[in-house]
Amino acid sequence: MKRTTIITIVITLAALIWGGTVAAAYRAIRRFETTPGYAAIAPAEWPAASTIRRAAGEWSLVMLVHPKCSCSRASVSELQAILDKAPQRLRTHVLVFRPNDVPAGWERTDVVESASRLRRASVMIDQNGAEADHFGGFTSGQTFLYDDRGQLRFAGGITSLRGHAGLNRGRADIIEIVSSRNGTGTHPVFGCAITTPAERKHP
Amino acid sequence: MTDLALAVENPSVAARAKELRDEQRFARHQRVDRMFSVLLVVQYVAGILGAWAVSPFAWQGKERVLHMHVWVAVLAGAGITLLPVLMAWLKPGALLTRHVIAASQMLSSALLIHLTGGRIETHFHVFGSLAFLAFYLDWRVILTATVVVAGDHFARGIFWPESVYGVTNPEWWRFLEHAGWVVFEDIFLIYACIFTNRELDAAAVRQAQVEHLSEQEQLKSAALEMALAEIRVASA
Repeated sequence: MKRTTIITIVITLAALIWGGTVAAAYRAIRRFETTPGYAAIAPAEWPAASTIRRAAGEWSLVMLVHPKCSCSRASVSELQAILDKAPQRLRTHVLVFRPNDVPAGWERTDVVESASRLRRASVMIDQNGAEADHFGGFTSGQTFLYDDRGQLRFAGGITSLRGHAGLNRGRADIIEIVSSRNGTGTHPVFGCAITTPAERKHP
Repeated sequence: MTDLALAVENPSVAARAKELRDEQRFARHQRVDRMFSVLLVVQYVAGILGAWAVSPFAWQGKERVLHMHVWVAVLAGAGITLLPVLMAWLKPGALLTRHVIAASQMLSSALLIHLTGGRIETHFHVFGSLAFLAFYLDWRVILTATVVVAGDHFARGIFWPESVYGVTNPEWWRFLEHAGWVVFEDIFLIYACIFTNRELDAAAVRQAQVEHLSEQEQLKSAALEMALAEIRVASA
């Protein structure tokens, strides 16, 4: 076989792989980024079983975080954007998931470090996801907004896609609800699973 | 491209100038093809290392699996890189090679942007790549790259708008705003390509004229030598 024929065959095959890869990559990335995690089944009122004390007369914002979830960097970044625009009275808690049987320091990651740098937010360990259970959340990045009477106003994510920081409906809704003290909202949540509905039902 | 036949009256000088210009361009295209083949491989490796460093695993509770980004960096990166690298080494200097390289370089930008979670800083890769593509001094290559970038934004804006604009219902023309900044850079790069090509054409013409004059001088010298030899023979 002539060298030019071999070159043509090799390049044609590479071109087919090239085209196929581009199409497949777009499809795979799109599916990955746009598929939300399990939505929370959040209680309409602040969960009585929670160990987090809700300050009377103040609105509360709670975010669940899986410390190893790289996508949650975007959620933490969006949380800061909310805190920058929200009124001072918003009390914010970031609950860091920590399973029972993991080595010490398992939860010390850059995601938690950046959460601890958030202004006007407290970070606490959620041992074995007990608080996530009380709030009915499954997915890292899940955010709950409760008003000053302990009524649920928002449950959802605050990123537009998995791992994408930037303008999004969830962030805008929370700022709008807190600022106007009116309305409710929800938004898909994107992040790693802290647990699944099946696991919660049959631990 | 300046019409060398018009710039030079002598057809043989014009033909030689064209030959010199084409040789220089071909050598340049081959050199830049190979530079890009190295760059594409470096970007491929950097994409994998970056994906591994930023998001190695996806988690479910305390269980982990290899993160989608790592798979995408390895597989999609290889698919995007393979064709242009092969063409750079098997068909260096060919017109199609540099257009494939331009398209692949822009797809690499899109991949890197994705792997970094759409970080605005990674978008600078697009602008740096356009500047590097201008090394070809072929403005058509810059157009190919621009069409790929604009096409990527347009398609994602239609089917997957949150990934580009962060909102689900952007105006249909929003991709033009993003592509507009690319076009802004293109204007200067395309002008630079045309302007530099003109200078290189002028240099090729000058070299052809010098060669022509040198040939004329050699012919004159040879004729003179011959005439002198005839005079010597006659006087002897």
